[in-house]
Amino acid sequence: MSRERTEQQRIELAVESATDSPTGVSDAEPWRDEFPPGAMEWTDEVSRRHFLTLMGASLALAGAAGCNIRPAPARKIVPYTVQPDEITPGVPLFFATAHPLGGFGTGILVRSNEGRPTKIEGNPDHPSSLGGTDPIAQASLLDLYDPDRSAASTHNGLPIGYEQVIQAVRKELYVLGEPKKNVRLRILTETVTSPTLASAITRLLQDFPLAKWVQHEPISRENVREGSRLAFGRVLNTVYDFTQADVILALDADFLGFGPGHVRYARDFARRRKVRIDSQDGVKPEQMNRLYAVESMPTSTGSVADHRLALPSSLIESFLRDVARELGMPEVPPSRTLPPQVQSSVRPIAEDLKQRQGRVAIVVGEHLPPTVHALAHALHVHLGAVGKTIRYTEPVEARPEPTRLSDLKTLVSEMQQKQVDVLLILSSNPAYTAPADVPFAEALRSVPFKLHLGTHQDETGVLCEWHVPEAHYLETWGDIRGHDGTVTIQQPLIAPLYGGKSAIELLADITAAPYREGYDIVRDYWRKRFTAEKRNGIFDVFWQESVRRGTVVDTVAAPVTPVLQKEWLKNAPVPPDAPLEGQFEINFRPDPLLYDGRYANNGWLQECPKPVTRMTWDNAVYMSPATAQKLGVKVDFRWTGGEHGRAEVTVVELTYRNRTVKAPAWVLPGHADGCITVHLGFGRTRAGKHVAFSPNEPNAEGKPVRGFNAYLLRTWDDPWGGRGATVKPTSQTYFLACVQGRWYTTQRDPISGLEMDRKPVRYGTLEDYRRFPQFAKIPSMAVGEWELINENVPMPKGYETHAAHGHANGHSHDHDHTHPTQEGSAHGHNGSPSHDNHHDHRLRPLTMYRPMETLAPDLRPEQRRRWAMAVDLSACTGCSACVIACVSENNIPVVGKTEVTRGRIMHWINIDRYYVGPEDKPEQLQTYFQPRMCVQCENAPCEVVCPVGATVHSSDGLNDMAYNRCVGTRYCSNNCPYKVRRFNFLTYADWSTGTLKLGRNPEVSIRSRGVMEKCTFCVQRIRYAEIVAEREGRSIRDGEIVTACQAACPSGAIVFGDLNDPDSVVSRWKKEPTNYGLLAELNTRPRLTYLAALRNPNPAMPKGA
Amino acid sequence: MATTVELDHRKRPPADSGLPLEPEMHPLVQRPHTLVSVGEALGDIVFKPHPRGWWLGFLAGFALLQMLLVAIAWLFYMGVGIWGINVPVAWGFAIVNFVWWIGIGHAGTLISAILLLLHQKWRTSINRFSEAMTIFAVMCAGMFPLLHMGRPWFFYWLYPFPNVAGVYPQFRSPLTWDVFAVTTYFTVSLVFWYIGLIPDLASLRDSAPKRIQRIIYGILALGWRGSAIHWRRYEKVYLLLAGLSTPLVLSVHTVVSFDFAVSIVPLWHATIFPPFFVAGAIFSGFAMVVALAIPIRRWYHLEDFITDHHLDLCGKVMLATGMLVCYGYFSEVWMAWYGHSLYEWGTTIERLFGPYGWSYWCLIFCNLVVPQLLWSRRVRRSDFWLMLVSIFVLIGMWFERYVIVITLSREYIPAAWGRYAPTIWDYATMFGSLGLFLTLFFLFVRYLPMISMAEMRELLPKNQGGGGGHSITENAP
Repeated sequence: MSRERTEQQRIELAVESATDSPTGVSDAEPWRDEFPPGAMEWTDEVSRRHFLTLMGASLALAGAAGCNIRPAPARKIVPYTVQPDEITPGVPLFFATAHPLGGFGTGILVRSNEGRPTKIEGNPDHPSSLGGTDPIAQASLLDLYDPDRSAASTHNGLPIGYEQVIQAVRKELYVLGEPKKNVRLRILTETVTSPTLASAITRLLQDFPLAKWVQHEPISRENVREGSRLAFGRVLNTVYDFTQADVILALDADFLGFGPGHVRYARDFARRRKVRIDSQDGVKPEQMNRLYAVESMPTSTGSVADHRLALPSSLIESFLRDVARELGMPEVPPSRTLPPQVQSSVRPIAEDLKQRQGRVAIVVGEHLPPTVHALAHALHVHLGAVGKTIRYTEPVEARPEPTRLSDLKTLVSEMQQKQVDVLLILSSNPAYTAPADVPFAEALRSVPFKLHLGTHQDETGVLCEWHVPEAHYLETWGDIRGHDGTVTIQQPLIAPLYGGKSAIELLADITAAPYREGYDIVRDYWRKRFTAEKRNGIFDVFWQESVRRGTVVDTVAAPVTPVLQKEWLKNAPVPPDAPLEGQFEINFRPDPLLYDGRYANNGWLQECPKPVTRMTWDNAVYMSPATAQKLGVKVDFRWTGGEHGRAEVTVVELTYRNRTVKAPAWVLPGHADGCITVHLGFGRTRAGKHVAFSPNEPNAEGKPVRGFNAYLLRTWDDPWGGRGATVKPTSQTYFLACVQGRWYTTQRDPISGLEMDRKPVRYGTLEDYRRFPQFAKIPSMAVGEWELINENVPMPKGYETHAAHGHANGHSHDHDHTHPTQEGSAHGHNGSPSHDNHHDHRLRPLTMYRPMETLAPDLRPEQRRRWAMAVDLSACTGCSACVIACVSENNIPVVGKTEVTRGRIMHWINIDRYYVGPEDKPEQLQTYFQPRMCVQCENAPCEVVCPVGATVHSSDGLNDMAYNRCVGTRYCSNNCPYKVRRFNFLTYADWSTGTLKLGRNPEVSIRSRGVMEKCTFCVQRIRYAEIVAEREGRSIRDGEIVTACQAACPSGAIVFGDLNDPDSVVSRWKKEPTNYGLLAELNTRPRLTYLAALRNPNPAMPKGA
Repeated sequence: MATTVELDHRKRPPADSGLPLEPEMHPLVQRPHTLVSVGEALGDIVFKPHPRGWWLGFLAGFALLQMLLVAIAWLFYMGVGIWGINVPVAWGFAIVNFVWWIGIGHAGTLISAILLLLHQKWRTSINRFSEAMTIFAVMCAGMFPLLHMGRPWFFYWLYPFPNVAGVYPQFRSPLTWDVFAVTTYFTVSLVFWYIGLIPDLASLRDSAPKRIQRIIYGILALGWRGSAIHWRRYEKVYLLLAGLSTPLVLSVHTVVSFDFAVSIVPLWHATIFPPFFVAGAIFSGFAMVVALAIPIRRWYHLEDFITDHHLDLCGKVMLATGMLVCYGYFSEVWMAWYGHSLYEWGTTIERLFGPYGWSYWCLIFCNLVVPQLLWSRRVRRSDFWLMLVSIFVLIGMWFERYVIVITLSREYIPAAWGRYAPTIWDYATMFGSLGLFLTLFFLFVRYLPMISMAEMRELLPKNQGGGGGHSITENAP
């Protein structure tokens, strides 16, 4: 990356961003101003003669330009005289680094194509990742290329050199190189775990005795820290080992989808969910774990739980107290009354926990009060889980002790009293994220010198006199710690696109005059530490190794054997009562994808359907069906709109502590009654403009922003909400872009009155599995022919269909099968099919051709491949990591809310979410996820109907799509029973924004309008591996090709491979009895099959829980 | 009123032949006309100022045509995303309108070809404008598949043309068959229509008051002089073309129905579709003929030639085909239930009671309930009532295609169920196509004889100079 180019870009973009100046121009729409401050004006008077001269010359020049005398571009192209090490054009490289969120890092590997980061995947060596990622980490790539990023240092909104900013700061802080001791400096950061940054801040604090460091994290973990302090007398970090946990109790905790280490936790958890006959890939049925979830708002964790209880957050403490008393901790004070259904579940849960002899884990949501955390710690000790499933370590945060939302309040009052001279805001946006009763933005006016370091000229940036663009984490050196304390050295993949600086560099430049590169600072820190810790070996080797691996050895936080303090229980506050009638408990939660709002300008995350709710582009007031009915709130899918896209909902006025916002309401089955949930992170006024194909729609208040800002209701003393909220429905309606409106798999037959179950997702309990392992193979129709149908599901080479019918697992033949099929299956089928009763031999197979192994008979054996995929629905948590992985890998465009409401979302993977259970008893519903993408039918219905042969079969069984040949009749989409084809109804791909082009995968073409597209099984990765294998004269190894979704999946629910290799993982998975083909009864012969979702319910639990 | 018609006993069918019409019982020309008066009544329409009704119809059509052009321009600029189509429902109004128009186009050829072969003389007074209607309807229909393509500039890829890329249409796709079927149908219909026009064009040439008219009609008449050898060749070609068109009447809509029937979409994948579609096409085609004939005969005072008897017969055809279509509706539901397929029956439930259930009941009302009025002879012979029934049938048949296409909204995977809402551009294109049709039709009425003069003259009794219902060559020695 040439230095000149970035310089050039910086100046160009500086002019652009100057129009966003806060001064002099209306703040709402500054770009409307024709003559922004600093713009040059044409002062010449134009005479007719002059005008004609200019026009003539312009025309002549324009004509000459069209002649194109020199075909080459105007600039000289200099080829590499010396090839840079390891760079081969066309061959991507992977670099290890870590994605920071909330201060914690998740190890990632970033793919670099000719120096441009194009894809983020998990780092298998990193303990917080183990190879998986989450949607946010992957989508952070798009943030790097965000065209709305701040492009220049500014002073009062006008571009200025970075050096001048540094000089200005130094002038405030230093006299003749000596620190001014009386400067009241304040440094505002987010949670910091970075050792280098912490040491830089500490050094600054030493120079200025009156200085203070304030950490402001809107999604604060203060309750977690406070809880451990209550229980153990000091702040400790909790690390779970879910591979050892037989029973897990999650209390309002989405540990599979949120929080430090959740990617790893999902994998650990899923390991004990994959029930397999072949023990290489999973566990035996008796080893399956059991998850109880008690939560207010349905989350991924609650959705995959074996038992889920809906309970308002404020009652969860009472619940845990009851469990504790039941477990023999009489010192725990009794609780308030719980709803009867929850109350009756306490004893079975406690019994289950007791029986497992310490192989249990209790996970508590970060937003629950410290006493709940402390109680959970006490229970861990009581049940003997410490050292087995729970590990306590030293805290990971650089300064864990007094960090809470109230710190910001103290800072603001200091600011208001003019007790702050210099305020450095480092990568934080408190003007947006501050609680409503902490007037940060207002108080900022009273600070004489304020500097903002941020990636965007955001809500805070425009209020600060000085602004420095922050480098993205993929552009700069740094270090960060994972959930267990492991340090990752973050290395840059690209020179700062917009000339940004990292916080480390900025502080170093402020502290010492010679400007230093982040590389030197981080390296110097580690060199010092290397020496101080007396590590063996050579520093350079240590450094190289650490950077390459993405982890620094021996940096895991030190284990601590905690001592439980008992007195705290006496002083613990009494948990609150059940909510009053007419008033609601309000729960503030981070958005599952936008987090605290920092990703509001990220189109991938905005458009990704949120786990469980499947909402895009908006947040809403989530409430239970009963609550909605009481309030008269409606969610309407009208015939003009769509079940698949557009939902018209009631707008409510939400009042909490005398502050009111207007927001759309959403009815969410499984939500606890009497409380509502709102997601933070929406309603940003200065998030950026270029995010989607279609423009912003006005939100429920009519403002042109996305969603409503829940921070406007939040208060500092009760940041996660509390009781006393009122919800008043208005007559106004609003439309939300929810991509799935059909929640049930069943349909009522008006004639017979039966529920007809289409069984797209097949599920059963462990008991069902033991009784009849093939239960999932029974389709929703043609039940009598289920064996024939399953013969038409592509199976591994050498697999004998009949051999697998229950023989492999010690299933006795004379056993009378009275296994129940799923309740309400296909109408009219009575009695259950038994594998002993062989199918009717008069029936002909569904195809008149013999099952074929390959379409091309003249291939060498190693070229005969049958690519296939299997998805384990027991392991899928619906987290959407695969969706973003697919978007990133395959250059899938963002279409915007308007287009989503028209049913035109382009994602190649849908995470379908189904509710199973009685519709009128939403609290008894079970949730199942099903990732649905192209199943690559061997007998593809789409192929026969294409008039131009644009979708054809490859010899290795892929259903290929030739974009260039497609004329867009869309017949293939109509004829696809899985509805996984996506059409470019308009020109969705962004062909104009330059920076976005850099981030695209060069191996995948950009589709223009009028072209059909769909999942390709990441054909570019297959072909790449084939070329490599061919060159190395070997066949492709199993596991060599990893599809993007497979690589991303935190729980390892997806496998891909060759069915002709009987030992490949995918072949092994497909031999499992739970393997079934979706809509296999249509004779599509799907290459992608599912493994049924297994649940492990506790028979002692009350019915319906 | 009643005219005695001299019968040619050689040609008279035996009484028990089952042929429904006997010229002496149902006079096909209402009042005594001569060869000259027929020419004046029909040919002079072209040269006389036009009634107010014509201007009304033409201007309305022309205005709608402009709307169509705007809609098409915007469509080509933006892409098919301006319509309401989406992923479960990837076909929308465009395909509905395509099938509807193709269906309407069927009546013309049925009347001109099949009824000719069956010696149904009553076809004579309505065949010309029905054929014109066919051609214009097929033009409207043919426009839609082209417009609905994602990349319409590559429409020619659907034709097998030699090219260096070596790519060829995919012949398993019914869309490819469609291209051939519709193209063939259009070509044959056009040629058939034009051949039939030649004697009349010559008549116009001979009687045109202005030189320019004489030149144009002269060129179009291809040198027709009315000699016996001309007539002989004309009759032969006409008969041959009728024979050629006859299978097309059945094949085109059969192929169009394959667009649906060959797919695996529940309720599309049905063997009843071909006959069901053909019957529906004739049903709607006759409705359109009636809907055009009634105003035109009133505006141009052609009650002598398009008699109540003609309308009565059209009404009977509508009743018969309507009942066939309704049998199709019954059969669909019955087979879905009896076939015991979860998806077929589930989709049927959604069709009947789902979000688009109203359109199904609308269709049942228009196509099953309203046509029952046609059992009454008074209704069949009443301008008002017949017009009303025809319009209901036209709407009902449009809804039938809408119901079929909208089936896509709820088929196999519940999570992928969606909805479809047309946008303003969908409506603009749909009504715009009506504009194209009306414009072309009224221009046809303006410049060409809408009822065949030559054939009407043949219909005249011999004592009035006609052929007594027989063609000239038939009577030739």
